Amino acid sequence: MRHPRSGPGKRRGRGPRIPATTLRKQQAALADVDQITGQKVPKSFVFSRGKLPSTLRHLQQDLRKVMLPYTALNLKEKKRNNLKDFLNVAGPLGVTHFLILSKAKGLPHLRFAKLPQGPTFTLQIEEYALAADIANSQKHPRCPPGIFKNSPLVVLSGFAGLGEPFKSLVKYFHHMLPAVDTGTVKLATCQRILLLKYDKEKEVIEFRHYSIKLQPVGVSRRIRKLMQNNQVPDLRDLKDVSDYVTKAGYGSESEADDEAATVSLPSDVDKLNQASRKSAVRLQEIGPRITMRLVKVESGLCSGDVLYPWPVEKEVVRNEGTETGEELGQEAENVVGSESDGEMEE
Amino acid sequence: MAAVQSAAPPAAGAPIPSKRKRPPPKGKKNKKKKLARSDQDDSVRRRRNKPSAKFLKLLRKRARDYNSDDDEGEDDRREERPPSRRRDDDDDGDEGLSHSEQEEDDDDDDGEEDEEGASSSGVTRFEEGCRAFRVAFLKIMGKKLPDDPLGPIMSAHKKLVAAKLAEEVEERKPKWEIRKEKQVEAEKGHVLPKDHLDSKEKELIKVATKGVVRLFNAVSKAQKPRKDLNPSSTKDAKIIAKERKSTFLAELEMPSHQVNKNKASLNSSKHTGKDEDEPAWAPLRDTYMLGTKLKDWDKMKDSAAENEETKIPLSDSSDEE
Repeated sequence: MRHPRSGPGKRRGRGPRIPATTLRKQQAALADVDQITGQKVPKSFVFSRGKLPSTLRHLQQDLRKVMLPYTALNLKEKKRNNLKDFLNVAGPLGVTHFLILSKAKGLPHLRFAKLPQGPTFTLQIEEYALAADIANSQKHPRCPPGIFKNSPLVVLSGFAGLGEPFKSLVKYFHHMLPAVDTGTVKLATCQRILLLKYDKEKEVIEFRHYSIKLQPVGVSRRIRKLMQNNQVPDLRDLKDVSDYVTKAGYGSESEADDEAATVSLPSDVDKLNQASRKSAVRLQEIGPRITMRLVKVESGLCSGDVLYPWPVEKEVVRNEGTETGEELGQEAENVVGSESDGEMEE
Repeated sequence: MAAVQSAAPPAAGAPIPSKRKRPPPKGKKNKKKKLARSDQDDSVRRRRNKPSAKFLKLLRKRARDYNSDDDEGEDDRREERPPSRRRDDDDDGDEGLSHSEQEEDDDDDDGEEDEEGASSSGVTRFEEGCRAFRVAFLKIMGKKLPDDPLGPIMSAHKKLVAAKLAEEVEERKPKWEIRKEKQVEAEKGHVLPKDHLDSKEKELIKVATKGVVRLFNAVSKAQKPRKDLNPSSTKDAKIIAKERKSTFLAELEMPSHQVNKNKASLNSSKHTGKDEDEPAWAPLRDTYMLGTKLKDWDKMKDSAAENEETKIPLSDSSDEE
């Protein structure tokens, strides 16, 4: 990890000297604010603490791709880098969120931290599959590089009516990626979606990453392909040109015809999906796929008071199982609620 | 014991100077030991000596070192030793308390060299040392040994010894096995997805699709009104501008406070230019890069808090649930 040092000795003899404050201001002005809406753009670092096995390193890279474009895709870390180093760089670069992967004995952990003062949510990764695994499992994996040019949409589900640790977690997830302004957004830029669904029975959070594909409704597959590929179709087996259009294509159109998945577009997205037509939304997973469980919430950045699980009754939770844990968590919310709210809104 | 005590001083007087110089070469000692072993097959001593071949080697080495400076053989001594030694062993069996002086000396010597030789510095004075060793040795021999799977361990750090033994076992594990274990540990939680979409994944995709559809519908709702109007005509352009502003304010309720404030300030202090209509480009706005906190730092605290509370849900309204 390379970053500008503000130490007095290190700068000597390196071209024109810009005062550190000015530099910081310029960088902040360039980086932090959306030019149209004027909102602050959340940025993130995805890195690891401790040595990771290779599969987890891949997972880390996949997570970075999820967080694109406002993240450091090629963030290099060294063994001796500690959290403070990352924090020091984060300030001038306008980084607001940390995703920290770690692996001790047992299951790996993923920490979501808000800069500069927390809170930190520690989630245990119960299961995960890499993007490569997902692609291997699919017949036609689809992952054009262009879809990473814009940040994904966030869809949260199943978090409604939950107690405090989840409320702040939802807030965190909302602010982790730039919010969509419905008035100005171009639908062509919405190409990815990040789904976070809370499973109430298992008390786990499902993390899924899909690509969004729009398909015109009522257009046969062949016509669609003809439009997309811009190539002369193979007509050798046909007797007449009209056969190409009239002949029934194979493949199921059932999903595309699903009424729930159709939208009418406000403007032309591409050649096929035009404003006048209806389009079907089809999602294809690009990975990674993570199933994780919230295990800890701290008020500071990887430090500070433990807000969840409520520390005093921890032993009781262990003895009596998960159900009591849930109740205790909600009790904790009543007590801690005001405090954590205050921290979230900073 | 009384006999021993009375016998000890004379025994200590004569033989000790010679004994210190006694150089029992390696081969002889070994033979002696072998003899002893054959005599008492299942004796405690044998069992104790059995596992530590290394230890024996070390003993031998120490003995060699100890005697290295005076190698001149005292053959007569060596000649007389084996029989007495054998007798000692026999006596050990029945906890021989009544030895003759010579035997006693031998016994102590053997004990010293076999058992304690390694740990003691080898320069122990025999005048007092003899008895102490004897007592200690007899005590040890008289001990009832617990039936340990590891065998009897004399060391005070039994746990350490056990750990060392376990380590040895670990070392003996083949390398591929270790690597496999590491691999399993590293891959914990890694689950390869199935080739087909199961019901759970389908459900998740459905949820996500619903979310996307809702967002797209919201977007089209927000952006459609402008489509009906022709932006080239001035009349429509005005309406568009109004629409844009009002929808924008409706979506982000928070700035409406600021606009109201701006209007108020316009009335009172006659600002011109920028305040009349908020520029569309963010950097031209007053509030550019200033959060509510920074802007209203001198306002009442609770009103600021209210602002923030209204802001957060509204800015996320585009996202689902």
